[in-house]
Amino acid sequence: MPATDSSSAATSLGRSFLSLRRDHIPPPSSDHRAASSSDLEIDAFHRHAADLLLDLLSDSDDLLSLAWTRRLLDSFLICLDEFRAVLFGVAAAHQPLDRLLLDFLDRAVKALDLCNALRDGLDLVRQWRKHLAIAASALAPSSSDHHHHQHAPLLGEGQIRRARKALTDLTILMLDDKDAGGVVGQRNRSFGRAGSRDSHSHAHGHHRRSSSGGSSGSGSASHLRSLSWSVSRTWSATRQLQAIGGGLTVPRAHDITATGGLASAVYTMAALLFVVSWALVAAIPCQDRGLQAHLTAVPRSFPWAGPVMTLFDRILDESKKKDRKHSCGLLKEIHQIERCSRQLMEATDAAEFPLAEEKDAEVKEAALELVQVCESLKDGLDPLERQVREMFHRVVRTRTEILDYLSRPHNAG
Amino acid sequence: MAEGGEEKLLATVQHIVQTLGSSDTMTEDILRGFSNYDGRLSLDKPHAARTAAASAAAGGGGVVGGGGGGEHSMPESPTLPPPPAAAVSAAAGRPPPVTSMERTVRTLDRQISQFVAMDGLIWADSADADAFLEAVDDLIGTVQELEAAGTNRGLFDRAEELLSRCMLRLEDEFRALIERPDDAAPTAPGGFRSDGSDDDEDFGGGDGYGDEPIPIAKPVTDYDVVIDALSPGSVANVHQIARRMVDAGFGRECAEVYAAARRGFVDESVARLGVRPRTVEEVHASTWEELEFDIARWIPAFNMVFRILIPSERRLCDRVFDGLAPFGDLAFVAAVRTQAVQLISFADAISSSSRAPERLFRVVDMYEAVRDLLPDLDPVFADPYSAALRAEVTAVCNTLGSSIKGIFMELENLIRRDPARVAAQGGGIHPITRYVMNYLRAACGSRQTLEEVMEGDFGAVGGVAIAVDPDRPTSSLAVHIAWIMDVLHKNLDIKSKIYRDPPLACIFLMNNGKYIIQKVNDSELGVLLGDEWIKQMTNRVRRWSMDYQRVTWGKVTTVLQIGGPGVGALPAKAMMQKLRMFNTYFQEIYEAQSEWVIADEQLRVDVRAAVAEAVMPVYSALISRLKSSPETRHDLYIKYTPEDVEACIQHLFEGTAK
Repeated sequence: MPATDSSSAATSLGRSFLSLRRDHIPPPSSDHRAASSSDLEIDAFHRHAADLLLDLLSDSDDLLSLAWTRRLLDSFLICLDEFRAVLFGVAAAHQPLDRLLLDFLDRAVKALDLCNALRDGLDLVRQWRKHLAIAASALAPSSSDHHHHQHAPLLGEGQIRRARKALTDLTILMLDDKDAGGVVGQRNRSFGRAGSRDSHSHAHGHHRRSSSGGSSGSGSASHLRSLSWSVSRTWSATRQLQAIGGGLTVPRAHDITATGGLASAVYTMAALLFVVSWALVAAIPCQDRGLQAHLTAVPRSFPWAGPVMTLFDRILDESKKKDRKHSCGLLKEIHQIERCSRQLMEATDAAEFPLAEEKDAEVKEAALELVQVCESLKDGLDPLERQVREMFHRVVRTRTEILDYLSRPHNAG
Repeated sequence: MAEGGEEKLLATVQHIVQTLGSSDTMTEDILRGFSNYDGRLSLDKPHAARTAAASAAAGGGGVVGGGGGGEHSMPESPTLPPPPAAAVSAAAGRPPPVTSMERTVRTLDRQISQFVAMDGLIWADSADADAFLEAVDDLIGTVQELEAAGTNRGLFDRAEELLSRCMLRLEDEFRALIERPDDAAPTAPGGFRSDGSDDDEDFGGGDGYGDEPIPIAKPVTDYDVVIDALSPGSVANVHQIARRMVDAGFGRECAEVYAAARRGFVDESVARLGVRPRTVEEVHASTWEELEFDIARWIPAFNMVFRILIPSERRLCDRVFDGLAPFGDLAFVAAVRTQAVQLISFADAISSSSRAPERLFRVVDMYEAVRDLLPDLDPVFADPYSAALRAEVTAVCNTLGSSIKGIFMELENLIRRDPARVAAQGGGIHPITRYVMNYLRAACGSRQTLEEVMEGDFGAVGGVAIAVDPDRPTSSLAVHIAWIMDVLHKNLDIKSKIYRDPPLACIFLMNNGKYIIQKVNDSELGVLLGDEWIKQMTNRVRRWSMDYQRVTWGKVTTVLQIGGPGVGALPAKAMMQKLRMFNTYFQEIYEAQSEWVIADEQLRVDVRAAVAEAVMPVYSALISRLKSSPETRHDLYIKYTPEDVEACIQHLFEGTAK
């Protein structure tokens, strides 16, 4: 594990919590042998969750990249599996466990809508990628197309125009979704009704055909129809996060005792659900994104408390950076898109042709980065979307299992 | 070349619409909605004539494009207008060798610049459109030649710059032609102006559905429906442009513009189907009645979208991008994906919600709609770009399948959890028995589907899998139903224990057992459970009946035993004692058991007959002995004559509650 400053700090924090743990977790229940083995299992679950989080924090350069987000989801799915194993493996009295589990299920349902919204968000990024790919192919034609050129010639005006057109479309799409995630949904949904902010582009008021006017060469961006969100326009990722994490309180000592420690496992899983949802919303475009929701004071006795706080802080720090503050997603690749396209637009603004060698090199370098972002998006988006779907289905399955579990007698005595 | 593909798709569309369900008003409204929206919904057979015309036009375009791209694209094309004088003199004033290539580019530049600067739609005039296309073809050819030669970089850049301007303009024209095809001049053979614009105003003018009454649609009997959103003439025009854009290496742009332009149509069509997007949370919070209503709308909407709208989009896309793979595939998926995914999401939400047994039938309906669609999707989602969407449909089919399985399993929990607190009045048929049996009988109507999901054989891959046969006692469904019957039996057994009268417990079990047998016998349940099971159940009922006889009437008949006459005969006093005991017993039994119930008439008759057979002979014997005995016959008081007893027995189990 590369020992960057922050990661070693996190590791040591994690360790210190581990050492504190024994003092703070209440003693196991009366049945000595059974309780101690279940206690060990629950401890292992907590510790593994902490380890997975620490691992996610180990490389701060990687934070919020597509690859990192995929690892985040992997970690979540692992934790969910272990949680199920712990829950169904330990005998416990119905109360207060049933109450705690029902509370967890409520939160889980809310995460399902978040998964759907995240899928829409990823689809949006995929949409952006298409424009990006056009710009990339205009500026950096693959070598097979131009194999007969010994070294790449200077970029021509046609190439630059084509790339700028694609990047402009991309920027408008990104702005559209940043400023008005809700409005996008509204626009696509309120067919034929008073055309909100598009109306100005409709000289002849033909709303019904589509909201994209785009009279020839008008330069209006209204033809850029973004994808609609599958959630209703009043839906808000911010509120959803608040609902997933809201009122999530540390289980009381006697609840932990009464449930053979399961109460703390349920709490951990709910907290992980929230943290992962929160990080995903931070990374991926969503309708009405916001990161205000926060976990209320996690006691340091939980080994994952330190890593979770570090994760929160790092992502919040990222979101406060000047160039990221207004971003539509903290995903590293989105940042790269923004940076690259801005750089390219600036470099090619009012360019004289033929381009100066220096400028040409600058553009080509940015184009190369563009190609790289395109590639990593191409490789990463589909698997990430599949994982988000997997999260949806696994949460549903866990929910069903827990409901079954609740309907069966599962108490030890 | 791609014509074969089109024929295949047409056949698919035809097949799909044939498999659509029978006419109902909702579907008609949808059709009406579609037709009102676009005004070109064709209800006749997919027009062979128009198709032919379209492909002829497309083929013609191909020839032009091919000519332009080839080595014939030489400068002095006869159709070019003479270059303006100023330009000629400027060219003449330049010293070094003006290559023919340079002249070509210059001429094209002049010509194209005029078009690109035009205010209105170039395609508003077909001659303009033809001339522009020709110029673009020449330019594409020139650029290719220049690139191949690789000697004159400056000229190549100039030509490419010109090409990029052409493409920007073509993109706008392309978008306009797709979104407002009526603005174009009627050009291609078979091209026609839609006369649907009046209809459009009905809907669009009023800014929505507002105050106007929704028009009642005429009954639609023919489901052979393809939506031709663009007339063949428009398709031909649009195809011409797509071809140039792809030739010039602008295929991605073309696909993007196409998708963005069509998405509006797709979104709007789906919106008119009246399915509201619902979040999972909403679905979980909704009452089942609300969800049933949503499902009733969802199923026809799903069919309309996946069987008509999406295949029609596929067809349109294939025609516009005929021979221009893979851009057509890219464009198609981008145009339909969002709406397809949204519809699928609802099924996901339903699958994730409550598994209450009453939900079985509607979820089966949803599953069957998706499952039946799967094989028909293959030609529509055949390309690799649609694979993910195809996989989503398959996945939701599996999800619905597991949900059905879960719901069906939940019946078991429902039975198990049914509390034994309340006994059925008079030992009659318990509501749980009625519920479960009627539920299972109804479920048998979907037994093919249930067997499929029990086997985990969701959506019988590709529709060619061997059909499952639920109709045997070893099928997964049959085994599960037998298991449910077992759970029910155990539950009834527990319930029987709450009767304080042991014989009433027997009556209760007999009643419920008999009811179960009846329901099994007169439905497919009999086939599933098999003769052996029915025989066992019948034996059980017989055993309970015997238990009843023994427990209730055993002591009565014992009391009535008087032995034979003559030596060893009972003394008169003992016989009187027996009669008094009989009277007490009989009165108690009669009072209690005339309130009990035997629901099945035959069973009631049989039980009464068995009682009479056990009691009457011994009782008659006692009475006649008492009557003939000198010690007792004078002051003999007979409370029940044998006829009274017989009559009382015939009144048992009538359920005459006080």
